[in-house]
Amino acid sequence: MIKMKRLNMKKGMNETLLKNIFSGLLILCLLLPLAGQKKYQSSPGGYHGELDFPISWKRYYSYAEWTKIMHDMAKQYSQLADIQSIGKSRMGRDMFLLTISNKSSGKPDDKPAMWVDGAIHGNEVNGITCSLYLAWYLLTRYDYDPYVHDLVNRYTFYILPGFNVDANDSYVTWPNTSNNPRKPYRPEDDDGDGLYDEDQTEDVDGDGELSMMYIEDPKGDFKLSSDGRRFVRVTEPNDPSRRFRFLGPEGFDNDGDGRINEDDIGGPDPNRNFPADWNLQQGNPYPLSEPETRNVYEFWLRHPNILASFHYHNTGRLIMFAPPPRIQTSLTPEQRQQRQQQFQQRLAELKQTNKYAQLFDIEVPAEYQEDLRVQTEIVTMGARILKNYRPTPSGRVGQAQAASYEMFGRYAYLIELWGTPDFDADENGDGRVSDEEFLKWIDIELTGEGWINPHKVRHPDYGEIWIGGTAKKHITRTPPARYMEEEALRNTHFVLYCVSQFPRVEIDEIKITPATSNLFWIDVTVKNERAYPTSSDRSIQLGKAIKDKLIFNCSSNITLIELPAALSAIDLTDRTTFVPIAKGKEVEFRLKGHDSLIYRYLIKIDGEEGWVEVKVISKNGGKDSKRLNIKAG
Amino acid sequence: MKLYFPKRRLIHFLFIFPILLSFVATFLDASKVPIKFDSFHGYTGTVNYLKAVAQAYPNLTELMEIGKSTLGKPIYVLVITNMKTGIALDTLIPLRHSRNEVKNVPPMKRHQGKPGQWICGATHGNEFTGTEVCLYIIDKLLTGYENDSEIRRLLDEKVFYICPIVNPDGVYNSVEAGMFQRSNVMLRDDDGDGRVNEDGPDDLNRDGYITQFRYKDPKGDYVIDDVDSRLMIRLQPGEKTDKQRYSVIQEDLDNDKDGQRGEDPVNGIDLNRNFPEGWFRADGFPGGQGDYPTSAPEVQALAEFFTNYRNILMAQFFHTSGGFTYRPMGSSPDTAVHRKDVAVYDFILGKKYLEIIGEPVPEPWQNPEEMEKFKTALRGRTRNRYALDRGYEFPRGWRVSYNENDDRPYGYGLQADWIYRQYGAYSVTTELWNPLRDLPDFPEIREDAPRIEIQRALLRYQDEKYGGQLFLPWKKFSHPELGEGEIGGWIPIYSGNNAYPGEPLLNVCEKHWQFELFRAKLLPEVVINDVKTKILYLSDNPSSAQVDLKENQAIIKKGQPKERFIVLEIKVIIENKGQLPTHVARGANLPLNREDVVWLLGDRDKIKYLVGSVWQRLGVLEGQMKIPVPPSQIETGQETSQAPRASQPFLPVQPRLRPEIQAVEAQTVKVLSPSSREVTWVIAIEGETPIKVVVTSQKGGTKVKDISF
Repeated sequence: MIKMKRLNMKKGMNETLLKNIFSGLLILCLLLPLAGQKKYQSSPGGYHGELDFPISWKRYYSYAEWTKIMHDMAKQYSQLADIQSIGKSRMGRDMFLLTISNKSSGKPDDKPAMWVDGAIHGNEVNGITCSLYLAWYLLTRYDYDPYVHDLVNRYTFYILPGFNVDANDSYVTWPNTSNNPRKPYRPEDDDGDGLYDEDQTEDVDGDGELSMMYIEDPKGDFKLSSDGRRFVRVTEPNDPSRRFRFLGPEGFDNDGDGRINEDDIGGPDPNRNFPADWNLQQGNPYPLSEPETRNVYEFWLRHPNILASFHYHNTGRLIMFAPPPRIQTSLTPEQRQQRQQQFQQRLAELKQTNKYAQLFDIEVPAEYQEDLRVQTEIVTMGARILKNYRPTPSGRVGQAQAASYEMFGRYAYLIELWGTPDFDADENGDGRVSDEEFLKWIDIELTGEGWINPHKVRHPDYGEIWIGGTAKKHITRTPPARYMEEEALRNTHFVLYCVSQFPRVEIDEIKITPATSNLFWIDVTVKNERAYPTSSDRSIQLGKAIKDKLIFNCSSNITLIELPAALSAIDLTDRTTFVPIAKGKEVEFRLKGHDSLIYRYLIKIDGEEGWVEVKVISKNGGKDSKRLNIKAG
Repeated sequence: MKLYFPKRRLIHFLFIFPILLSFVATFLDASKVPIKFDSFHGYTGTVNYLKAVAQAYPNLTELMEIGKSTLGKPIYVLVITNMKTGIALDTLIPLRHSRNEVKNVPPMKRHQGKPGQWICGATHGNEFTGTEVCLYIIDKLLTGYENDSEIRRLLDEKVFYICPIVNPDGVYNSVEAGMFQRSNVMLRDDDGDGRVNEDGPDDLNRDGYITQFRYKDPKGDYVIDDVDSRLMIRLQPGEKTDKQRYSVIQEDLDNDKDGQRGEDPVNGIDLNRNFPEGWFRADGFPGGQGDYPTSAPEVQALAEFFTNYRNILMAQFFHTSGGFTYRPMGSSPDTAVHRKDVAVYDFILGKKYLEIIGEPVPEPWQNPEEMEKFKTALRGRTRNRYALDRGYEFPRGWRVSYNENDDRPYGYGLQADWIYRQYGAYSVTTELWNPLRDLPDFPEIREDAPRIEIQRALLRYQDEKYGGQLFLPWKKFSHPELGEGEIGGWIPIYSGNNAYPGEPLLNVCEKHWQFELFRAKLLPEVVINDVKTKILYLSDNPSSAQVDLKENQAIIKKGQPKERFIVLEIKVIIENKGQLPTHVARGANLPLNREDVVWLLGDRDKIKYLVGSVWQRLGVLEGQMKIPVPPSQIETGQETSQAPRASQPFLPVQPRLRPEIQAVEAQTVKVLSPSSREVTWVIAIEGETPIKVVVTSQKGGTKVKDISF
């Protein structure tokens, strides 16, 4: 691997050098200060570092494997990546987190940051792939891709591929259905018999897959399909076929109570265990009761630099955003219908120019308008980048993304990865995938991998039963491995897009206009061209927002005339445009997304020359300053 | 460096120590670990005592560390019960073919099969009278086991979980370090200067106590009391005076030289505002303290303990002071408490408590059947709509902390509320100690007397009875920042909200031991009363058989001889012979709780369940005590707009059983009375197998009985 890296470095350097010679001296001069960035590619056809850290994206990884990959990344890209354990899971596994940021351009914990977690639900391990892919993409492309380079220099990515590590590892390593194990390993008495987690699923036939069990029963509702590959429901009452009764997922009656799998492993849903809008029924036993959720939340508390967060789930191809609080309106059915119509009309208008356009029929209070606006903008782009994903407001009850937004004021997204393979399997174009189309997809696109045919098995509790007629593990909720990389790539692009829209404050211009004799107006324009505001509406409501600051400075011969904070006409002949007068040397404000503000100062200049300097400081939007030298001509 | 390991001595010690112990025990029949209450034990003394009793009574105690404080001090729970009794359900039910890649379920403990009572003290570090009461109760239980048949029976059947100190750092700082600290310790930068806990109070005169520093200050708002010159009187805002004005502060320096004193002390949060129930305000913003509910390690330790020990039905959270008891709720109005629980709380527990502290029991509590009469009588005499609905206002000694007159929560995230509403136990918060009532020979002073009047009396009292040892006389001191002044005042641990050691403390201990003992005796106790078996069919020479059914002709072929075959009917009568039901009113519906359950167990290869399944649900068994439930006009569970969001909506748990199984249970589980059930099985047994019935109630205990036939 090391050999490979050197080779490529050389190649990259040669290419750049050649190009520089042909491009002329000027470009060379511009590029020289950027030492170490010679591998930049100017065309998408070039090499972008993929083989610097070779890894297969066409398989799933166990806990031991994915954490080794993370350690290897941190080792190979030590200037960009750190690995740490944020705590241990219930079963004592370390929850490893990658911090990715260029360490030489500032402390990662001081930079505005994006949080990404992979699989809070044990079985949703394609989220591990997506977040791991993001880390790999950032690290390998850093030297080759100016877009990635800039984001990694400016911002920090906290990436936790495995969240519910015990269940994640079990899902990958052991036979399981696509739905379990899902929860953290807190013992719980699901069936109320007094025992805890005592009757779980088991791989009865020992084939390494967990399928469904059926038993022959003349009164059963099922029969074998004509091709013998599925169990299908009997529709004709007099159907003479051999009948089957559905027993459930593979498993034994462990406690001998006549029921199977009625007390599967695990306690509460971890994504109901966060404090925001928590309730006991769904989030028991208490908020952040699980070591996994608590470790994450404590990390969030220690890292106020996190601005936004991504949380991967499956399935359904959804871009869910944590919504601002809604106003409960009581509308009459007519009013509701009218509102609905207006809404549909506005959306249709928007879709005429952008088919990905989004609009959400939710009413939020005035103080949360900016949050709704930016989320609408972001998920509109998400719909474009992720293609067949549908944006929608997320749920709240005890959910991680809701806590990220409601408790910290961060913009938070829950991504439901994967879904039905309609893009490949829908033959008749009805937008759905029938059972037959699904099987054909497995035969053709998956070249026969992924199906368990019904077969007879001896069961210690039931005698002779049948097992099968279902897809294997990585088919329905977690995609077949060959489908993972493109989805991971698109999702990485969406995360990067969001980070590229983190606020960036700039001083656009300083204008000077004469007022009278030696008095002059200085008009300073500050702006944030990005989509996200410098602080969210929610963080303001929580009292956690830190305002942006504009600081005025000038040479000693210039005096700032203190005026009351008020609006001033920018042009005395135009009484329609006003700008606020900055009161004193420091003013505070918040820049929204795509926002600019003008502040006006009145100065008195004594002497022939001088300077004014303005500096803007924003906790989340960075810093900028500009100086204006003034000279009598 | 060479390590010295006293191996031989250790072995000697190991041999001799138990002999020594039993020797000591024989001669000290009162207590193997004597305890006195003439001073406060603090954290160190308490832990030493707990360790000593755990060692001296291995058959009656288990010392559990349930968590650690912020500064790493263990939080202990002393389990007190007969360790030889009680049944761990998981040992009776063998599992088969289990997945063995995961071992996430710890083995059950025997005492988890017994009804439990929780008693804790010092959630607030400066309220350590509760710690002393806990130690007193521990002593009474352990010594009582030997010489009191009632206590012996109690410890055979029930279990006590006693946590004398919930807040170790707070108690240590209050008792051992001479400060007075209600909150826990948090490593937090209060003043945002980048340093943590760098500016707390300072023991200026190095006498071991953080007392007061008073200095002459024309802008000060204190003057010296005319009657007792040791006391300082605080002036009203804007009040004029001709006397010398003083400022009074804690002993303190500006440690970080930022111009402020004491702005970044070790103090963290109020632990009794950090529990999950009612922590959020109605608008979704935090109302309680801490970053999130259970964020304090001390609170999480409790939350985790209760999550794992579901067998507790009585809970006491000792606080100080006032000499009364708060029953839930504090964060929600009384409508959040089920009427049946209101009856248990007020007419049973509250009545007894008032009797113990010597206060009159309200008339309605003595005749709850006539509540409508009392409601009518109350009409027009109060604006408290909850009182109007109940039929009575609360007496001084037993009340809710919710402000009923103004319809306002007392606080957010309270522990007793949480235990009642989210765990399902009869929890209370007793505010121990009221000097006006608990000090022997204390002059008659009204509760609402001016503070200074009470202070003068207390000061005189400690002069006479404690030789003036509780108050430090003012002594000249030159403060490096404030100049000349004096240091003095009440020694923090005696400054008012803790019982004075000696007789007053013992009085408080004895009263509340009596109350807790009364409560323990009310705990449910589920027993297997009677087992009747009837052999419906017996075959001594059975064999296997095969049936060949063709049209309307069946041909039976006999096969290999088999073992003895019995069809047996079993009828079991199960009863809760304790006083209270096995759950609070809606307790069985709470997540992690369950109904009472009965298992019929034997060799599963030899038994077929023909009627009735392996385990059947009994519902919630009521107790023997009659609970007079008065009707309510206000719909239970209705909240007011000012109340915090109810984090527990009491939704019924969806039964996981298939409907056909429920239908079977309806036939096989017969309700004989609210407190008893008759359960029927018909089973077929092939060959020999022992059979046993196991009844298991989360809070009513687990019992097993072998069946012979």
